[in-house]
Amino acid sequence: MSKEKDATPIATWSLSKVKISQSQAKVDSGLRVGIRSVTHRISRMGKTITEKILAKAAGRKDVSPGDYIEVGSRCPTPMGNFGGLRGGVEFCVEWKVGVFNPKLIRIVDGHLGATASHNAARSRMGARKWAKAVGIPDENIYTLGRSGIENMFSAERAWALPGEVYLQAVNGHSSGSGALGAFATTLSYGRGEYFITGKTWMRVPRSIKIVVNGEFPPGTCARDLFEYFLSQIGPTGAGGAALEWTGPVVDALSMGERFSLCSLAIFTGAWTAIINPDEKTLDYVRARTNEAFEPQVSDPDAQYAKVFELDVGKLEPQVVPPPKRHLVKPIKELEGTPINRGFIGSDAASWIEHLRMAARILKGKKIHPGVVLNITPGTTRILRQALDEGLINTFVDAECVVPTPNEGMEWGANTPLSADEVCIASGQTNYPGRMGSEEAQIYLANPMTVAASCLEGKITDPRKYL
Amino acid sequence: MKPMRGRAWVFRGVLDVDWEICVFDISHELQAKGMYTPEEIGKYCMTKVDPDFPKKVRKGDFIVGEFMGFGHDHDHACLSILGAGVAAVICDTSAPYFLRNSIERGLPVVEYSGILDAVKQGDELEVDLEKGRLTNFSSGVELQFEPMPAFIIRKLEAGGMVPLLKMEVDAGRIPKRLT
Repeated sequence: MSKEKDATPIATWSLSKVKISQSQAKVDSGLRVGIRSVTHRISRMGKTITEKILAKAAGRKDVSPGDYIEVGSRCPTPMGNFGGLRGGVEFCVEWKVGVFNPKLIRIVDGHLGATASHNAARSRMGARKWAKAVGIPDENIYTLGRSGIENMFSAERAWALPGEVYLQAVNGHSSGSGALGAFATTLSYGRGEYFITGKTWMRVPRSIKIVVNGEFPPGTCARDLFEYFLSQIGPTGAGGAALEWTGPVVDALSMGERFSLCSLAIFTGAWTAIINPDEKTLDYVRARTNEAFEPQVSDPDAQYAKVFELDVGKLEPQVVPPPKRHLVKPIKELEGTPINRGFIGSDAASWIEHLRMAARILKGKKIHPGVVLNITPGTTRILRQALDEGLINTFVDAECVVPTPNEGMEWGANTPLSADEVCIASGQTNYPGRMGSEEAQIYLANPMTVAASCLEGKITDPRKYL
Repeated sequence: MKPMRGRAWVFRGVLDVDWEICVFDISHELQAKGMYTPEEIGKYCMTKVDPDFPKKVRKGDFIVGEFMGFGHDHDHACLSILGAGVAAVICDTSAPYFLRNSIERGLPVVEYSGILDAVKQGDELEVDLEKGRLTNFSSGVELQFEPMPAFIIRKLEAGGMVPLLKMEVDAGRIPKRLT
């Protein structure tokens, strides 16, 4: 990857202030004094957080983009119950090889909800039987009533430790855990090899740095920042890279919003995303685990394939109309489009912050009589917190559907769309058939926009309700 | 690994694993029916772009794409391409999960920036992964790309991760931890 494909500058794009510099980061490095003190050394070469983590995991002095490495991980690897028993995992028992370390594998049964099919029930039992056969301890099995979407469930327990490689069995949105300062990625079809040998191969990605300045205007959140960035960089703009989100806006984000921001990286063509850990990250991790860890942060003179600087001061709510995930528009171009379904959920938008955003708009109101709005909390902890804060009362009073934690309407697991239905969703993606019928249409937007649109039965700018 | 020879099937634009390459739901339906095989899912390869592609493509042909494998880390797309008989994917850009999953499945993916300027629909190609050489017999153009490392060649020659692991198990190089 030394022969960089993206050596030519991208056209400058504008919001209120946007600047792109090539190769060398001359903008805010994202480092702060408090964090420098926890790094073990500043390399003379100037390395990104991604390169530092991968070098350590590979047992090398340093690594550069394009290097092939072999890594293991000391973090637990969650496996969902759905489709987990493929990708070589099914042979652990048949070949009598078991798994490299049963304590490091966890079954998180949260991808499918309580309302899913008989097929889901079979899948569930298959995962349980497999876990028993390879010796996974009972406490590593998180059944439906104490789980959630595996990406979020693991993030809220800080299974991905700052400075470590974190590997999930399946689910490309594992990049969310990059917000913990870990190199978070998914083994996907390679999971069998990792489960059996404890090792997997990687190619060190180039890093793309995004420095975000300004302050979010009302009606916008991290989701709009991501979608706006995607609209500018395009679906291949970050091909194979690690996105490194930095700057005052990222610093000010809550952890849930940071997870959300990182979780969507694949739609820019990137492999994963990461945020340099700060005191907020370290406090979050320390409150959730007793494991020791050694955070890493990017050097001030680290080399980036690209550096983007943008200001969110004039950001508007963004909407992604069907069917192309990367064709993003400001809400004013789509306002008034009739909708009859809504969804707030998935690893992109079912943190407590997102439920609060929706509740603020729905409080004391009822959704449009022709609309079904599904609001699915991501994990049981989030459901519990939403109950404590009275958010679930607001949703039920507003006549929303509130299932127990799972992926919700994502890939049509629950309350799927039928032909001719039009949904506005804060889920992950919108290709035809993603939430049921190929004839249905999916518009993507932030949770405030979804809530406001469901009140009116048409795409509605949430700012009028704030 | 011997050089591969076949015809080019050109696909432009962003090709999502879950839609253009192979509808995700097909993989669920086939699993529920116990029919999730390369041959069965191969019948749905690229059909949203070219409904007759699985019938027209010959074993050993190449997919030459623009942005291959956009979206999720779902490996059914790789299986579908293999099942259709495609020998390798050559593309301008590959999504990282698509590239990794393809290799684990035993399907080579070569990234070459500007490939669509060098290859037209139906061109006769030869691809040598070890030497990093693509020869277009139809145009006479020869391109150099980064050769694949030995460990990936070994995996591809074995037919992917699972057959390679099986070889290692049979050779006694992986401990049998279960009784």
